[in-house]
Amino acid sequence: MKRVFLPHNLEELWRIIAGEPKADIYAGGTDLLVKLRQNLINTPSLICLERIEELKGVHEQGDEVMIGACSTHTSLLENPIIQRNFPVLTKALNVLASPLIRNMGTIGGNICTASPAADTLPLLYVLKAEVEIRSRSASRQMALKEFILGPGITCLKAGEIVSGIWVKKVPGFNLHHFEKVGQRKALAIAIVSLATLFKISGEEMVEDVRLAWGSVAPTVVTSNEIEAMLVGHRLSRQVLKKAAPIARAIVKPIDDIRASADYRRQVAENLLIRLGSVQK
Amino acid sequence: MKSLEIGRPIPRVDAYSKTTGQERYAADYYGENLVWAGVKRAGIAHALIKDIHIDDAKTLPGVISILTHKDIQGSNRQGMIRKDQPVLADNKVNHCGDAVALVLAEDKASLHKALDLITLDLEPLPGIFDPEKAIGEGAPLVHEGHPQGNVLFKGVLETGDIEIGFKECHAVVEACFELPHQEHAYLETEAGWAILKENGQLKIVVSTQSPFRDRSEVAEALGINVEKVRIIAPYCGGAFGGKDGVTVQTLLGLAVFHCPGRPIKMWWDREESFLASPKRHPARLYYRLGVKPDGALHALDVRFYYDTGPYDHLGGAVMALGLEHACGPYRISNVSLKGFCVYTNSPIGGAFRGFGVPQVTAAMEQMMDMMATQLGLSPFEIRKRNAIRCGDKNPIGISVTGSTGFEECLKTLEEHYLWKKRNEWKSKAGPFKKRGVGIASVMHGMGYGPVVPDFANAKIELTREGKFRVFSGVVDIGQGNASTYLQIAGAILNQDMAHMELVLPDTESALPSGSASASRTTSTFGNALIGAAQSLKHRVLQRAAIYFMAKEIKEVDLIPGGVNHFTTGKEIPLSEMFHILDDSEKVAAYTFTAPTAKENPTEDQNLRLHGVPHLIFSYGVHLCYVEVDELTGNIEVKRYLAVSDCGRIINPQTFEQQIHGGIAQGIGYALCEEFIVKEGRVRTPDLATYIIPTALDVPEMDSIPLESYEPTGPFGLKGAGEISIDGPLPAIANAVADACGVRLFRSPFTPERVLKALKERENREFEH
Amino acid sequence: MKINFVLNGKGRVLNAPSDRRVIDFLREDLGLTGTKESCGAGECGVCTILVDGESRLSCLMFAAQLEGRNVLTIEGLASEETLHPMQEAFVQFGAVQCGFCTPGMILSALDLLKRNPHPTRTEIREGLSGNLCRCTGYQKIVDAVEATACKKEKGPPL
Repeated sequence: MKRVFLPHNLEELWRIIAGEPKADIYAGGTDLLVKLRQNLINTPSLICLERIEELKGVHEQGDEVMIGACSTHTSLLENPIIQRNFPVLTKALNVLASPLIRNMGTIGGNICTASPAADTLPLLYVLKAEVEIRSRSASRQMALKEFILGPGITCLKAGEIVSGIWVKKVPGFNLHHFEKVGQRKALAIAIVSLATLFKISGEEMVEDVRLAWGSVAPTVVTSNEIEAMLVGHRLSRQVLKKAAPIARAIVKPIDDIRASADYRRQVAENLLIRLGSVQK
Repeated sequence: MKSLEIGRPIPRVDAYSKTTGQERYAADYYGENLVWAGVKRAGIAHALIKDIHIDDAKTLPGVISILTHKDIQGSNRQGMIRKDQPVLADNKVNHCGDAVALVLAEDKASLHKALDLITLDLEPLPGIFDPEKAIGEGAPLVHEGHPQGNVLFKGVLETGDIEIGFKECHAVVEACFELPHQEHAYLETEAGWAILKENGQLKIVVSTQSPFRDRSEVAEALGINVEKVRIIAPYCGGAFGGKDGVTVQTLLGLAVFHCPGRPIKMWWDREESFLASPKRHPARLYYRLGVKPDGALHALDVRFYYDTGPYDHLGGAVMALGLEHACGPYRISNVSLKGFCVYTNSPIGGAFRGFGVPQVTAAMEQMMDMMATQLGLSPFEIRKRNAIRCGDKNPIGISVTGSTGFEECLKTLEEHYLWKKRNEWKSKAGPFKKRGVGIASVMHGMGYGPVVPDFANAKIELTREGKFRVFSGVVDIGQGNASTYLQIAGAILNQDMAHMELVLPDTESALPSGSASASRTTSTFGNALIGAAQSLKHRVLQRAAIYFMAKEIKEVDLIPGGVNHFTTGKEIPLSEMFHILDDSEKVAAYTFTAPTAKENPTEDQNLRLHGVPHLIFSYGVHLCYVEVDELTGNIEVKRYLAVSDCGRIINPQTFEQQIHGGIAQGIGYALCEEFIVKEGRVRTPDLATYIIPTALDVPEMDSIPLESYEPTGPFGLKGAGEISIDGPLPAIANAVADACGVRLFRSPFTPERVLKALKERENREFEH
Repeated sequence: MKINFVLNGKGRVLNAPSDRRVIDFLREDLGLTGTKESCGAGECGVCTILVDGESRLSCLMFAAQLEGRNVLTIEGLASEETLHPMQEAFVQFGAVQCGFCTPGMILSALDLLKRNPHPTRTEIREGLSGNLCRCTGYQKIVDAVEATACKKEKGPPL
């Protein structure tokens, strides 16, 4: 039998962690309890973060927004600050798993599980998100792309939790796009995904762009080269076709039960080509 | 309350208790002092069993006992046609899911610990996983000593002369089709609960489609007296063929003797269900079709292989039904059909809604479209020209009798706005999307065929409370037959729902009525019920007539809750009739045996035993709208229409439920349900990896039933439970071909396969 | 541990191991078998319950997490005399076949209508996308939820 702790605030949390150094920490449980069922968890105790209000909510601070790590995906979908400022996040959350998983799963959990197919990660990369990490005695902040080291591997040390995600507003970017390719329209692990932010001028020219692919490498893939190629042009088929082979070259997909590496490479290219017909 | 008329869409009687969570499924049975039972499975596809080490597990606290084949008194063999499957494996393991040891424990935790501690000494044997290779030279044998090697069953049906036939053809099309396993994925996994009572009776509550047959199987496999076995079949939480035959019954039957007086529960979790239960047979089909210049089908050569895994489990019957349906609802002058049902070490191939017909329909309906393209005919035209009619001889040489509404289905579809507006819809495809429309014909025979008795025994009684109680003999696995039975009996007895009652199948009180399968559940039992209801009605009215001193029985009739005497206007409640009647008059039983085909297309008695030929067929035509994404290969079904000839519709709502459900499963079979097995090991072991459609993956569906009339069916009804699953795969394949000019011969049509086909087409065009 | 919570409208104080799955707690300890299990891994929705009005998967929750919550299972939905309108609609519109998905489906539908009282058919499908059904093909379920949202007259839908 495992003991399950339910701290109500951070003070309590640090105390419990001190007393249970081997405990696994979870928030929504949608990853952890699945791993438990597969006999992959051997810790003697578990700590659930769901009651800690300090870790929830969305706070605006000037041109930055702080998202509490224990905010459920549903709460973020319904949050007007997120809806107003980060439509790309809303698009991704809408196709994450199912409403039931979204009611329970948290953005912090999605980040810390660090699956190569995580739905929130590509867009958090294009939003250049930073994670706030806290322990009993300290607090630090780092770029998300530095925080995630590989499949299931992050910079989190023992005694630490991700407490929040800092995202700068992106007012100039007027086209937010996210596409996820999966085996069905819901409850699907992404086979390939692409998150993009565009700043399109009045003359339909690309002034700025950020792209990030998911599920095509151990971690999210970005490309300064492709971004540079698109800036200063219209999003025409020609320009995108020129950039596409680079996408194929930079991704490092695997063969797995859902799709082959070949398919992933092809689709990583093709999702780029689709951008030419995406509406504002 | 209105009385239960035939033809009214009356809501199902079980719906209330299911929406409140009160209805108890087999999985919901627990109890005081409960014992938990679980099975250790082989985990390897083909091996000799050298030893089974249970000693460590036996000593665990909480473990009551651990049983192996050594503890089985009887034959230790189960099976519906061939008894070739062990309850607990003895000398050999034949597939990864073989049960090897049975653990009884006080709680789930101890059960799982014990299962982990059991180890098996297995000497691996080379396995065979491809049905064609399994028939070849030097293939490892699954059952040594089986006379035909790995061939469980071979069926041949031939008419005319295909050699000459093909010479006379103007055009010939040839193709090979491959289809994978399909997993039932019923939401209630295999579950049962059992107890050995003091009087020696073994009571089993189980999620099953065949309580009476189960009883015999349990008795024989374990060496117990069949009279001592009572099986109760609650509503199943889905079955679709996967619970036709023994799942937990024999294991529970064995377990009870080792903890008498205590209730025992066995409930397979999802992963175990995937591992151990039978699936739809994977198939490889070689088709060659030739036509005359006017488009008349003239020669058809079919050779197909169904991979039945290591056990019969109705595999022979599945293959035989496929063989019989291989030509589709058409006239063809010369045919040669060869079907092989082959043993391998893959997961067990067994009954699954459609029962061998989805595979051949997938092939034939695509061949029809391929031929239409070759001839420059529309998909409609080629089907219309060859449509089978009542009075024709079908391609296997049997006269088509009974209601045959196939042509009418085609006509109805042709006049439907979805067919007429299709080009307009197709032209509106957005960027990187291609739209297509495809049709497929379907036909599906009902019942068990000419040899296996297809009968039902209905029993109705008048209760003390003045209600009519129907003893259902056929399990309601979700298709709503329990409600339909009440509707049928209620209509004859002129009662409303308040005065009708139904008892779910219990071998102690119901009468043997066959399995809930083969699209027979409403037809065969329905006919028996009509007989029983009429018989009881007559008895009640005879006595009521005397009571009212009526001159003729015509003066009295049943009304909801009573009998009415027209002449005087007097009434007597049914609860009073109960006291007037003697016990022997309060119950009526009636047997109905389904009519069978009189003609014989084959000398092969074994093929006849396995069901060839059937007599009564339902027909239909399906249409679907698809959109293909050229960048991802994703296929989306946007609309679906099924026109069906299933005779008279007793309950339009229940009928539509069946059509919708079959379409949804067919769409899954076509697009996303890829059951991956490598060297006999299941690589898609759960619902996270085996993908079934969600609410977002099934389109709006239209169902149009032709109101035809089948004289042999209750009120003119024909089977409707399976036919709709036969259509989606070929309809979608044809629509995709229409959309992008690519034909997919291997299913499911995953985005990856589609994208590959599109790329290959692009390359071929580039080369030209 | 002792768990203090409201279950189907009644305050309860019950004992359970803190790591007991809520699904097991409900079905085995409390005899509330209306909540079903089908995959144990959050992939099917059949174990759906409402916690503080929000739909959640009881197979992915521990008993400890029930503390202080207001929990509704399918058994708590109907009143003594009548079905909840959603239940009634499921009955009337033919949304129930084998019925194993039904309790979870109904509770998910309630969560959906609370957030979106007048959903389109597509929005209904999205709202129910975490609840698998193998029997119905979903259409009549969508009909039932749509009817409840529009408070249509009960009656035969055909």
